[in-house]
Amino acid sequence: MNAVMLTSYPRTLTVVAVLLTLLMLAYGGAMDAVYPSLLGVFEWLETTWFGVIGKTWGAAFAFVEAVHLLGLALLGGCVLAGDGRLLGVVLTDVPVQTVVERTHRIFVFGLSICIATGIFMACGVATKIYYLPVYWFKMLALSAGMLFHFQIRRPLLGHDIQNLNPVVVKMVAVASMLVWFMVAATGRWIGFSG
Amino acid sequence: MTHEITSDNKNAKMKDDQAAALVVAQAFIVFSAIYWFTQIESVRELLQLAYG
Amino acid sequence: MNELIYNLAVWLDDTEWSRMLHESYYMYNWVESTHVLTLMVSLGMLFLIDLRMLGLALPDVPASRIAERLNVPMLIGFAVMFITGILLFYAVPVRTSQSLWFRIKMVLLVACAVNAFLFHKRMNESVVTWDIEPRAPSRIRLGAMLSLTFWSIVVVCGRFIAYDWFDCDTSPNTLIDIVSGCVDGQTRF
Repeated sequence: MNAVMLTSYPRTLTVVAVLLTLLMLAYGGAMDAVYPSLLGVFEWLETTWFGVIGKTWGAAFAFVEAVHLLGLALLGGCVLAGDGRLLGVVLTDVPVQTVVERTHRIFVFGLSICIATGIFMACGVATKIYYLPVYWFKMLALSAGMLFHFQIRRPLLGHDIQNLNPVVVKMVAVASMLVWFMVAATGRWIGFSG
Repeated sequence: MTHEITSDNKNAKMKDDQAAALVVAQAFIVFSAIYWFTQIESVRELLQLAYG
Repeated sequence: MNELIYNLAVWLDDTEWSRMLHESYYMYNWVESTHVLTLMVSLGMLFLIDLRMLGLALPDVPASRIAERLNVPMLIGFAVMFITGILLFYAVPVRTSQSLWFRIKMVLLVACAVNAFLFHKRMNESVVTWDIEPRAPSRIRLGAMLSLTFWSIVVVCGRFIAYDWFDCDTSPNTLIDIVSGCVDGQTRF
């Protein structure tokens, strides 16, 4: 029976292993070991073209920041439309599969804009954000959000929705909204810190 | 026979995807609850210190 | 006109609640964060509607259905942004009213409202003929493009308000002074 379970649930077991590893790393002092070595990387980022442009021309940095917000609007809109549909709150007379599939492309586009502009902005203020705990929370939330979206949510919603447990679908929708809200909120808070 | 095996495989994959989604979603919801609770508590303490 | 706006802003700035909001430990930050994060609701829904008209989003869903269903969350988002926007202005009224970017943003918001009204009017008059087409007719698409452009510039201008390139005490020339509403170099922060 145990051997059957191991082979029947590879994704679940991987997920449990990853979560346990993350917990051990977080409370086992692994971050303390890795963190000092990252300072050199962040100092180097400030010397790149992006870093120099971002530090020299405030207008360029501000414009890229505004584009980052537009990407956020696209990303957030798709998350709200898609997850809202899963919760049965918006677009209730449109098939779930249609909403989820059609919003995915725009979600990826919005996410790409956010990542590209985010890298530019990070280069401009690299040594400042290195010391901000809220920045590291954002990166954790962003990584979690991307992995969740592409490795958990999308494969799940690739199945026929009628055959899925509705409680699981709603929990996935809530979790998705929570994680992207955390990315946005911690991102906004970076601006108020340091 | 082949159709049954494919259908069984699809079912197994669906159960696996569902179980994984459940584990991760619960982890996110619990983590978010703890994170925002601690953030709100620390803000409350700071405001109490600042304003009395 | 600039003097009238300046005097009104100074009167607002002298109120107790304005000072409390401006000097608050967290309240101003929360109001601003809410204003920015609600972008995801209001502009997110709006962008989906506009992209549908251009045939770039949800092309197999009737356009009128997208517009109708996403209208309510969009308007809720705009209501929250309107309220938080007023609070942000109220916290720092003088500097904000004398900001070139704020003034451009306000003009564009009016333009967005007019465009939205005309867009909905045209859509309601003609939607029966093209509802299930992946792309709307050219006039509707023009309205959608204008909407996307205007709102993008609104976001850029909103972001630029925080920067002091054209503040009244650092303004480079008289025309910018006039457009920004500077009154003899007087300002407050």
